[in-house]
Amino acid sequence: MAKEIDPITLQVIGGALHAIAEQMGNVLYRMSYSSIIRESQDLGAGLFDLDYNTLCESDSTPMHIGSIPGYLHGIEKNIPKTDWKPGDVVIHNHPYYGASHSPDIGIVMPIFYHGELVGFSANTAHHLDIGAATPGLIIDVPDVFAEGMLLNGLKLYEAGKRNETLWRYISGNTRVPGLVMRDLEAQIAAAELGVKLYCELMDTYGRDTVEQASKQLMDYSEHMLRREIAKIPDGDYTAEGFMDDDGRTRDVRLPIKVTVRVRGDDVEVDLTGSSPQVPTAFNVPFEGSTKVACYFAFRALLLDTYTNQEYIPQNEGSFRPVKVTAPLGSIFNPIPPAACEARFNQIQRVVDLIIKALAPVLPDKCTAGNAACLSFASYSGVRETGDYWVLIEVNEAAMGGRPNSDGPDTIEELMRNTRNNPLEDLGMHLPMICDRYEIRDDVFPGAGKYRGGMGVVKSQRFLTPGFMTHESDRNEDAPWGIFGGQDGIPARVRIHNAARAEEPRDVYAKFSGMRAELGDVVSYLSPCGGGFGNPLERDPAKVLDDLLDEFITPEHALEVYGVVLAPVSNGYKWGLDLPATEALRATMRAA
Amino acid sequence: MIRVGVDVGGTFTDLVLEQVDTGGRRRVFTHKVSSTIGDQSVGVVRGVVELCAIADVQPGQIDALFHGTTVATNIVIERNGAEVGMITTKGFRDILHMGRHKRPHNFSLQFDVPWQSAPLIKRRNRIVVDERILPPDGRIETRLAEDQVEQAAELFAERGLEAVVIGFLFSFLNNDHELRAAEIVRRVMPGAFICASSEVVNTIREYERFSTAAMNAYIGPRTKRYLDNLKARLREAGVNAYVRIMQSNGGVSTIEQASRNPVGLLLSGPAGGVIGGRWTGEACDQRDIITIDIGGTSADISVIRDGALTIKNPRDTEVAHLPVLVPMIDIDAIGAGGGSIAYVDSGGAFRVGPKSAGAEPGPACYGKGGTQPTVTDAQVVLGRLDPEHFLGGGLAIDPALSEQAIRTHLAEPLGMSVKEAALGVLKIINNNMSLAIASNSVARGIDPRNYSLMAFGGAGPLHGVALGQMIAAKNVISPLHPGITAAMGLLVTEPRYEFTQSSLAILQSAGKAELEAVNAVFDRLQAEAAAQLAADGIPPDRQRFERVAECRYVGQGFELRVAVPHGPFTAGSAQEMARRFFAVHRTEYGHAFEDQAVQMVTLRVIGSSSSDTLALPLLEKGGRRNPSEAALYARPTTFDDGETVQTARFDRMKLRAQDVVVGPAVIVQQNSTTIVPPGYAATVIKLGDLVIARVGQEG
Repeated sequence: MAKEIDPITLQVIGGALHAIAEQMGNVLYRMSYSSIIRESQDLGAGLFDLDYNTLCESDSTPMHIGSIPGYLHGIEKNIPKTDWKPGDVVIHNHPYYGASHSPDIGIVMPIFYHGELVGFSANTAHHLDIGAATPGLIIDVPDVFAEGMLLNGLKLYEAGKRNETLWRYISGNTRVPGLVMRDLEAQIAAAELGVKLYCELMDTYGRDTVEQASKQLMDYSEHMLRREIAKIPDGDYTAEGFMDDDGRTRDVRLPIKVTVRVRGDDVEVDLTGSSPQVPTAFNVPFEGSTKVACYFAFRALLLDTYTNQEYIPQNEGSFRPVKVTAPLGSIFNPIPPAACEARFNQIQRVVDLIIKALAPVLPDKCTAGNAACLSFASYSGVRETGDYWVLIEVNEAAMGGRPNSDGPDTIEELMRNTRNNPLEDLGMHLPMICDRYEIRDDVFPGAGKYRGGMGVVKSQRFLTPGFMTHESDRNEDAPWGIFGGQDGIPARVRIHNAARAEEPRDVYAKFSGMRAELGDVVSYLSPCGGGFGNPLERDPAKVLDDLLDEFITPEHALEVYGVVLAPVSNGYKWGLDLPATEALRATMRAA
Repeated sequence: MIRVGVDVGGTFTDLVLEQVDTGGRRRVFTHKVSSTIGDQSVGVVRGVVELCAIADVQPGQIDALFHGTTVATNIVIERNGAEVGMITTKGFRDILHMGRHKRPHNFSLQFDVPWQSAPLIKRRNRIVVDERILPPDGRIETRLAEDQVEQAAELFAERGLEAVVIGFLFSFLNNDHELRAAEIVRRVMPGAFICASSEVVNTIREYERFSTAAMNAYIGPRTKRYLDNLKARLREAGVNAYVRIMQSNGGVSTIEQASRNPVGLLLSGPAGGVIGGRWTGEACDQRDIITIDIGGTSADISVIRDGALTIKNPRDTEVAHLPVLVPMIDIDAIGAGGGSIAYVDSGGAFRVGPKSAGAEPGPACYGKGGTQPTVTDAQVVLGRLDPEHFLGGGLAIDPALSEQAIRTHLAEPLGMSVKEAALGVLKIINNNMSLAIASNSVARGIDPRNYSLMAFGGAGPLHGVALGQMIAAKNVISPLHPGITAAMGLLVTEPRYEFTQSSLAILQSAGKAELEAVNAVFDRLQAEAAAQLAADGIPPDRQRFERVAECRYVGQGFELRVAVPHGPFTAGSAQEMARRFFAVHRTEYGHAFEDQAVQMVTLRVIGSSSSDTLALPLLEKGGRRNPSEAALYARPTTFDDGETVQTARFDRMKLRAQDVVVGPAVIVQQNSTTIVPPGYAATVIKLGDLVIARVGQEG
């Protein structure tokens, strides 16, 4: 093996690996058809060595980053390394063989260099429909077999030749073959590009140098994370919350408990004490999702790319210091054949609880309670031609207040980072129309020195009868305030029909295969983040801004923030009365 | 005929003057003055007056003045634009606040969201009114509540707002409501800058269209004031020339049109460089060129394919993280330049940039207080930049300071020699630049082996050959005046106006009604373009029109630009467009599905007119090899292979056509230095540009 690579070559190869992953991700999302991939960028792509270590990965959606090694380990159970041939393409989505969840289909190609297997080029993407019990998304199903096609390490191409039988099988078992098959082609194109570019990199620098540089880059990323972990005092840090229900047994809360054990520069996340596995799809695949969430939490907390100037390579090194434990048979490590497709809300909460647990020792890096959920809405129907239309939409939420800034409003937070669908684009193609897409105005943001972010309200109207499944949570457990900040607001889901004079009715966060009538309007109101720090310390100018921007009322400014307003005649109605504010705040602090 | 080009950069304002006398004799003069940051027009006028003195002409003799400006871009970056109001559809007040709801950082909790923390239009000034247009045909579901528009405008007037945007959902299908609302607001606020989203860019996707209109209004009042100031100052200085402003799309426009549509000026600065690059390429008989303009803090990369500028896919056009759907030359800016700082990070990794020492304090060698080593310091330590020629000798530099900075901050911590560390700085920065070039070329199906790399900007020719080698370019071009290529480019631009309309149709199955609709849209857009050209005083026989459609596979979310065949749009032209789309798709992504339906999304007509070109005097023929008449002196110089050799300096202004300078050599001129490493040779082309290639592969 080559000796230690000089720091200059190391930077050069590190840059090249990063560029390869970005190009793979670009091809995948630009070529693809379904809005969940092309607009939302719900995908990941990268290169992996023979031990399935991540060498580089595209900067797309955090949920996918770090999940692909699980796929590779799972595939090995059916395809040992000796069985790979140049030109093979393997398709895989089995959640009990390392997949993140069944709709996230992985495409893997081996990389041969001068006839020898040297690594893998792989990507994952969320597919619109894999023939599950209900179109698009599922909640209330009995087992993993009801999730749709389970593709367990199958060769879609063998030595460059497509397996037409398998291709037709997949095409015949999705409700939207026109989108799914084209998206698969985009995935294959991205994987082929990775193979080509990795070989070119080896041509340029030599195989030994590339492999040695990869090892050193992983060590570097690991070192950077360990250094930050070591700064946290050793100890056990715990936080708890709960989920609304499992989507079938209503109003039975599911506890989530996170214990973070810091020992030197190692850290363990132990989920013992969380709910046992549930009888619906509301379980979390351990390898492909539970672990990935924990890896994410420490990168985001300790190697924040906004506060750290240096780019730290996205590779295996940042996973190594983090150990994840979840008892077998729990919601975070289910036993087959439990279904486990609807897992995003739970892992969002794991990340948020890791932040909460560590907040007392990381006051400058944490946040107040984030929405930490996901509204995943699947709308569908059958056109007059008999073809299905399916739309999966991700609704954003908000973040909690932060040490130096307010929580962002209406944003993709934590493990998710998709893009919304332009309303005008959807309106041109689907029998649905959006009636409202705004910041929530029925509640106030979580008050604090830095306030929580405001959530979204989105109302979609069916223009024909159809079906809808909603995977969501957090209608009950409000995001917490921290260091004197007030709690945020939980979510709400409401349905009404535009044609009937009736009040909107509140419904549960999760529902499966609901039959929608013409004119039904489904409104999602996302949670709002908790406040950070004492509201009486909030800069009065920011309180005035929030008032003028109609996030709060004059009464709220007075009662919660101790800010006294004075009428002005410049068209904005209100200005600050600073002396009165100082006096009021002094009284309120004393009380 | 006297024409002047003025390009304003962050540090310097570059000028070039061309005089053609009645006998057809041409003279060209160049000049450089410090930019005036508070009001760029002060420096512009000072430069023009000084240049006139140099050329011995009167300001009143100038016929035309072409101007590239960063005024509009700076307003966005510094966020000191107008207070803007917006009137929008009820239920959709916060489209600008939500954006595409994707956060700018994946692995971050403390990130900033620029469109929320520094919005172009504050929420308090976004007012909703009743109105509703419905897809897919644009029919009206709810009529516009005109009284609500009037009340909103009155409130904006009371608040003293300078600009107002009207943005309604689905206005790309039917903009009656937007135009009516704009009319009402103009009546209530006669002095304000007002625009409807469909007037600025009539395309599908509400956030991007609203953001573009908001940007236009945000920079509108200040940009107009700047252009008015410029006009007035020029008049005071006795300049009566007609003035044309460089636009992001590579064409020029009048002051009036630029004031109305300032959002078209956001790349006004760097666009001139690419145009200048294309023009230099023509002089060197090269039509396929990758340009890289290397300044102090950043490098701008663009690709010219078969003599044509690359226009960015409209889905990718962003300024300061905000989408701006206007045609722009595809220019990729990266944080790498002569001032980029090299350092060892806390984990021991060797880093270069993107942080820059800028002009103040500048590289360590300036002795103005900068102690951190920069790319320029590495060049100095390696003996590639001679103190007596730095900025024409106008700025004293101290090589000892460069060496000390590299020793302290790089060599010692990394346990290497100063020379190794300096070579490392260049290798890393060149690698960053070459990866960016690759992602703009190789990643898009462009094979650099068929392309010339043109490196300009003051620092460009120092890096040119190294970059050309890394990307395997055919050869490397060092333009005659690398430091003022952008100003030269201004003198070879043409007027160029674009008009767009979203109009969805499937190419392979378009019926009679759809074809008629497409023709009607094209006719209307062409009439608008013709009217604009006529307003600029261009007669019909000199007007040129080009038609482009942005197309995608049905169901895809990203469009690609496809040229539309000439003549009436028929079923045959639709089939031809589908074929062209497959070819573009294959180039861009490596694949094309020929059995799939292709959809036109947005139609675009570009009106332009050919204009005068710039002609530099032909050099006298030399045909010499390492001409002793141009040789200055020799100094030890270290090249990328680590070898230090005694290397001859040549005075670029004494080189003649067909002279060949064989490396190792350093060719110096005011403001710029061209490195010719061992094994390479530079050939002087007819106007003085250098084409550098491996020995044995010249020409």
